[in-house]
Amino acid sequence: MLNFASKTERKISKDFERKGYIIQNVPDIKSLENIKKILLNSINKKIKLKKKIEPNNLLDFFHNKINKKNLNSIRLDIIKDLNKNKKLKELYYLIAKPFLDILVGNELAMQTRINLSIQLPRDKSSLLPVHSDVWSGDSAFEIVVWLPLVDCYRTKSMYILNPSKLNKVNSIIYKNKKNSSEKLYQSIQKYINWINIKYGQVLLFNQILPHGNRINNEKETRWSFNCRFKGIFTPYRDKKIGEFFEPITMKKISEIAMRYNLPKIK
Amino acid sequence: MKKVRGYNFSREFMGERVPQHIQNIVIRQYCQSMGLHYMLSSTEYSMKNSSLIFDQILDEIKNLHGVVAYSIFQLPENNLKRNNVFLKFIKNKKTLYFANEGFKVSNQKDAYRVEMIWLIKKNLIKCPSAKDIWAN
Repeated sequence: MLNFASKTERKISKDFERKGYIIQNVPDIKSLENIKKILLNSINKKIKLKKKIEPNNLLDFFHNKINKKNLNSIRLDIIKDLNKNKKLKELYYLIAKPFLDILVGNELAMQTRINLSIQLPRDKSSLLPVHSDVWSGDSAFEIVVWLPLVDCYRTKSMYILNPSKLNKVNSIIYKNKKNSSEKLYQSIQKYINWINIKYGQVLLFNQILPHGNRINNEKETRWSFNCRFKGIFTPYRDKKIGEFFEPITMKKISEIAMRYNLPKIK
Repeated sequence: MKKVRGYNFSREFMGERVPQHIQNIVIRQYCQSMGLHYMLSSTEYSMKNSSLIFDQILDEIKNLHGVVAYSIFQLPENNLKRNNVFLKFIKNKKTLYFANEGFKVSNQKDAYRVEMIWLIKKNLIKCPSAKDIWAN
C-alpha cells in the first residue's frame, strides 16, 4: 500500500498501533482553557461554595466539598449543564483535531454527548469494570478522545491492555475460563498499562482494547472527559448516526454526491 | 404552555423497529425535559411510505406549538417530501422535535443539520457494514 503520510504522522500512527494509545500536548491551549472554564462554571452552579477556591484545588479536592452520597446526582446535573453549552463540542474537537486527522480522517462524526468522569478517592460507586467498547455495541472504527482536567496517575487514572496481548485475552474469553469481569481483570492485570497523563495533554486510545479503572487510591479526585469519534462513512454498529453520532466535518463533495442522481433515460 | 402532538410509528423505519409503548415513553420523557405540554401521540399507518397521519397533524399545526416525533427517520424517505415537511414547520413558525436524537427543526439551519444525517443514513446502505467485515 502506498503511504504518503509524513514522518510525524507515521510516528504517531505507529505509536498508536504499538501502545494502543497516544498522549500528546493539546495544541489548542485556548480551547482547553475554555473547556475548563465551562466545567468550573457548571460545578459552581451545582455546589455553592462558602469562599472562593483556586480552580485546581477545587477539582483535585472536590471530595472534601461534597456529600459523597450525592455524587451521582451532582455528576448527572453537571453533565446535563455541560452538554447545554453549544460551544463545548467544537472546543473538544479542536483539542484533538490534528491527531484525529492522522488516526481517523478528516471527515468525522462525533458522539452527540460528551461524557464526564468524576472519580473520588476510595469511591466504589463509579467504577468501570474491564471492558472493550466494541463488546457493548460500539464500532471498531471508533476512537476515544480522553481529556483530563487534572493530572492523572496510577489509580487516579485509567488502564488499557497492551495490544500485543489482545489475542491472549480473546482466547481467555473464548474458553470462558473467567466468569466475572473482576476475575477477567485479575487474569489480565499483568498485561495492562496505567496511563500517566497531565492536565494540558490529551489521550487518544483504541477502544477495542480492554480498559477500565479501579478504586482511586490516590488522595485527589479525578476529572476527565471522554468522547468518541469515527469516520462518517465507516461502519456503525449499535451506536448509530443521528442518535449517538453526528457529522461535524463533512466535506462538500460528499454532500454534493449524496444529493446527486444519475440522469434517467426513457 | 407549549402544546405538542406526539407522533410514533407502527412499522419499521430505516431498518429500525421500536415498540409503540417504548416510543411513547421516550416522547413523554423528552417533553418533560423540554418543558413541553404533551398531547398524546398519533400513530402512523403501517402501510409502506404512508404519511397520512403526519399530513393530518400538519393540517392542524396552527393550533400547536409543534410536533414531537420519536425519530428523525420517521420523516418521509423521499428527499423532496422531507424538505417540504421542514418548510411547512419553518413557514408556520412551528417546531418539529425528535425525541430519540434530541434534535429539533425550527429554522433552515436546524433543517440542514437533520437533512445531512438523513443523507448519510441513506448512503450508508451503499457502504460496507460492520456485518460485512466481521462474521459475528
